[in-house]
Amino acid sequence: MSVKIAVIEPSFIIRTGIMSILKHSARADVFEINEMEELGDLLLRQNPDILVVNPSLIGVSILQIKKEMPEMKCIALLLSMVDNNLMSVYDEAISVYDTAKQIKDKIQRITFSFQGAEERNTVLSSREKEVIRCVVKGLTTKQIAKTLCLSAHTIITHRRNISTKLQIHNTAGLAIYAIVNKLVTPEELE
Amino acid sequence: MMLCKYKESDMMSDLICDHYNVLLVMSRFGIGLGFGDKTIGEVCRETGVDARTFLAVVSAHISPDGQGIDDASVVSIEGLLSYLHLSHDYFLNYRLPGIRVKLADMLGENQEALSKAILHYFDEYVTEVCSHMMYEEKTVFPYVRSLLTGKQQNRYSIAVFGKQHGRIELRLNEFKKILIRFYPSQSTNEINSMLFDIFNCEQDLASHNNVENRLLIPAIIKEERRQNNTREHVC
Repeated sequence: MSVKIAVIEPSFIIRTGIMSILKHSARADVFEINEMEELGDLLLRQNPDILVVNPSLIGVSILQIKKEMPEMKCIALLLSMVDNNLMSVYDEAISVYDTAKQIKDKIQRITFSFQGAEERNTVLSSREKEVIRCVVKGLTTKQIAKTLCLSAHTIITHRRNISTKLQIHNTAGLAIYAIVNKLVTPEELE
Repeated sequence: MMLCKYKESDMMSDLICDHYNVLLVMSRFGIGLGFGDKTIGEVCRETGVDARTFLAVVSAHISPDGQGIDDASVVSIEGLLSYLHLSHDYFLNYRLPGIRVKLADMLGENQEALSKAILHYFDEYVTEVCSHMMYEEKTVFPYVRSLLTGKQQNRYSIAVFGKQHGRIELRLNEFKKILIRFYPSQSTNEINSMLFDIFNCEQDLASHNNVENRLLIPAIIKEERRQNNTREHVC
């Protein structure tokens, strides 16, 4: 999964430079934000994972942004000295004098912290496989519950977990999965 | 009022060479090739297309995040409707059937159950796209036309459409990923070609939705407000 990084820096040369390093340092979707008046709206719409911003430019507005989007990591892009109190809000700081390698390492440390958390469990339990088998044979939730001696509620939970694990959200997709992985035989589908 | 980073005074051929997917936009506006070194404005005028609407739609295609579309009210709503109608026609009668032919060729005679399941998924998806677009053709567009002629009678409003207007490309994205992850086969030119088509079609569907969400809906909301205000003044 690639991370979304938003960059706010008024200097075109510095912005382009930092974006170029970011694009090469991680599986990242990097974009710039120019319209400061619409900053709040743009951030909510784009929902980036990381915000790289010049602290002198954004000032105390960063506190409000952090409050509205607590999940987003904020990296300060330092061109000059900045008040220490303000810096405590930031998760990391990049200096314009950092080498490309230092910047890459910093970005990787940050992206690693949330990629680990999002690692998807993709292994199906045997119960989930049974549910898939029933679903692709065309059984309704009620019928599956009866067949497997479980409550309808449990079946719904299983189906939800299957969708998350396989990233397949409909019966037609589950049928393809079930056939490829030999959970059902062609005769059973007739 | 910046609608697009391209201006009417830019050369049409430059725009296309920078963003080849603009070719799709052109054909839906009825603009053909062979225009030499004419500017976007000149080509549009000669073909009777509103250049601002053309550039707004181009913008929705080349910047998927919607940046560059600041003011939807300058677009010609008539022009947009005709564009969207031809776009629907392209997906339903050309693009999706074309992908299906390639898909069926690729699957061939073997692995019958699997082939059937894959085609079934695709056909279900096409039905979904069809009903999504038919709703727009039969409910939304007639409403917009009645609004434009001032003969709006039913109590429908574009906000109803805005709320339920789903991202039609999502299931195609899932389908593509299922094929990539699970379809057991050699990598062949036929499979690649079919997948390229799906990648392109998915992107084009997203741009199509973008035109509806970022241009049509805001323009209609403005028009509804304008008419409501006039009505209040009259009363």
